[in-house]
Amino acid sequence: MSVPNAIERVLLDEETIAARVRELAAQISADYADSDGLVLVGVLKGAFIFMADLARRLQVAHHVDFIALSSYNRGTTSTGAVRLIMDTRASVAGRHVLVIEDILDTGYTLDYLVRTFRARNPASLRTCILISKPERRQVEVQVDYLGFEIPNEWVVGYGLDYADRFRTLPYIGVLKREVYK
Amino acid sequence: MGLRDDVAKVLIPEETLQARVAELGRAINGMYDDTDRPLLVCVLKGAFMFLADLTRHLEMRHEVDFMEVSSYGAGTESSGVVRILLDLEQNIKGRHVLIVEDIIDAGYTLDYVTRNLRTRRPTSLRICSLLSKPSRREIDVPVDLVGFEVPDEFVVGYGLDYAEEYRNLPFIGVLKEEVYQAAE
Repeated sequence: MSVPNAIERVLLDEETIAARVRELAAQISADYADSDGLVLVGVLKGAFIFMADLARRLQVAHHVDFIALSSYNRGTTSTGAVRLIMDTRASVAGRHVLVIEDILDTGYTLDYLVRTFRARNPASLRTCILISKPERRQVEVQVDYLGFEIPNEWVVGYGLDYADRFRTLPYIGVLKREVYK
Repeated sequence: MGLRDDVAKVLIPEETLQARVAELGRAINGMYDDTDRPLLVCVLKGAFMFLADLTRHLEMRHEVDFMEVSSYGAGTESSGVVRILLDLEQNIKGRHVLIVEDIIDAGYTLDYVTRNLRTRRPTSLRICSLLSKPSRREIDVPVDLVGFEVPDEFVVGYGLDYAEEYRNLPFIGVLKEEVYQAAE
């Protein structure tokens, strides 16, 4: 596949991502081998590709569910206030919840999710994040499984977007500054 | 893996499935170009895996959006009216919309979703469904692209579930009768 002009460079190519997703799936499968009632909760829209690839590699039975959120202030910076647009279909009480996120940035969203699910008495609660930008963190959050740590650059692809563009690129690329400046 | 033991037979192996998804992607590449900027609408939950693989093959600029619907319960199916649990984030007025579905069965839900989206006046509205069970159709829904026509069997995998299980099988399989009969 050709790389669009707006992409400065490919940061993580398709094979690198697939290999890491396989490793994460193997680790998760081992950790939950003796646990009944695993549910993966994917955060829309960004996590759907990661979720599709991760779920197929898991060797343990599980359900999938989705949650949709939005921040109160639209734009590139976040104050941390999160609005729940769609909740999970099934109750997570007594279930082993694994939150699936494409990217961990300020941490506000994940912090909100962890606090929300914690209050619902799951049997356990863990988080699985594909990409983390530690430099951007505003709030400390619990990360149990992590794909990649990356520098503070604007990345797109494999679920990550810029104004809904570039979300389905099969690799993760760095967006040129002039695109978002 | 225990889940695989519940599958009576593999109806569509992973390689066949992936090859057909690539073909569907090429067909969609022929339907739209960058200026059309189609919006792919995924009806959750079943279609998320298909969408993830299908979009890897798309060459034109496009966006994705999600809907989740639920029926009002027993006896309401034939009206097709469903509750919209998650509506589209985007306004589709004047947009080219492609609904991405995992399976079309009786057709009621898809018919309702189509009628609902049409009231929003998209420029075009097409449907791409991975699977179709023609023998089950109760209402005519014009499907533009179909991956596979399948017989009226209990299919699971690749997003399709039985009681929320089996969605993550990478192939389409037929569930053993004793699995769903034990629950009845």
